[in-house]
Amino acid sequence: MEKSTENGNKKSFLTKGFKGDISKHHKKYLGTDVPEGYFVKSKISILDKIKVDFIIEEPKEIKKQLVFSMEPQFKYLVAASLVFALSLTVWLQNSNKIDTINETNFELLAFSDDVLFDSLFIDETEFEVFTDVTLFNEVVVKAELSEQKLDNLILDNLILGDSLLDHHINDVLVETIIL
Amino acid sequence: MSKDAELVKKLKDSSLKDTAFSELLDVYQERLYWHVRKIVTTHENADDVLQNTFIRIYKSIGDFQEKSSLHTWMYRIAYNESIRFLDKNKKKDYDNIDEVSESNLEVLFEDEYFDGDEIQNKLTKLINGFTEKQKRVFQMKYFDDLSFRKISEILDVSESTLKSTYYTVVKIIEEKIFL
Repeated sequence: MEKSTENGNKKSFLTKGFKGDISKHHKKYLGTDVPEGYFVKSKISILDKIKVDFIIEEPKEIKKQLVFSMEPQFKYLVAASLVFALSLTVWLQNSNKIDTINETNFELLAFSDDVLFDSLFIDETEFEVFTDVTLFNEVVVKAELSEQKLDNLILDNLILGDSLLDHHINDVLVETIIL
Repeated sequence: MSKDAELVKKLKDSSLKDTAFSELLDVYQERLYWHVRKIVTTHENADDVLQNTFIRIYKSIGDFQEKSSLHTWMYRIAYNESIRFLDKNKKKDYDNIDEVSESNLEVLFEDEYFDGDEIQNKLTKLINGFTEKQKRVFQMKYFDDLSFRKISEILDVSESTLKSTYYTVVKIIEEKIFL
């Protein structure tokens, strides 16, 4: 009798399928089980893991804001040091410039002294040739060129003036004849 | 709107995502655990795979296009995670599939959370002796109570093939255990 009931239960295993508690069903037919309270612990563990893996970027931004908002003194200190650093840079740059100008002047003076000394030892004939060439280039050629320019200007004006006058006379003549 | 569709809507809304995910765990955690446990054999392995599965679900919910139901989509993720786990931990020194099955049984019987009696051990051994496809179809249909349509979507096999496979397996079990 007991055996026939057992067989009946076993057959219903295949025909009915399971209804209700899935864990009990597995325990009943496969003998597999889970530790006490496993699903609650597992849920917490999964949620914790997700928090660590996915919500790690947001606090970074909040942290950045907190540095200044929590400590205003720090903000002023940073601003003051930035202004100091900037002014120091400007001052250092200016002081360097003055030094370089002075150095250049000294160099120029030294250079001009050298030139003066050297000029004393130049041969008279060489100097004369140099002055002639310079005189020719600077005075004669330039004077010639400016004279040419002046001539061109006068000629242009005369030609233009004549043509305008002719044109005007012609117009007046034609108008007088017609009228 | 169905409960799952409402849940998906909340999961895709960043302000409600965490609350909805906690709700999702309440509904599906246990079911997915048993689905995974039957594939990876021991509780310890199932715990690892379950965590990875839910992390993947959390990460990919934005890409879920709702072409299948949420239920099916999650089962497919759990199934793929389990197969990935098995591939990663596969021992390469087995000569044939029978050796792998034997080894799975040894691992199961040594598991702290397995306590099968004579009939349960017999059923487990019998299921373990089926081909991978037969095993998955029987487990999903009988123990996870999934419809043939859903199993077909998860395993990407036609419904008619699944039905024929399932009824073949059921017949074998009835013959070997209950007759």
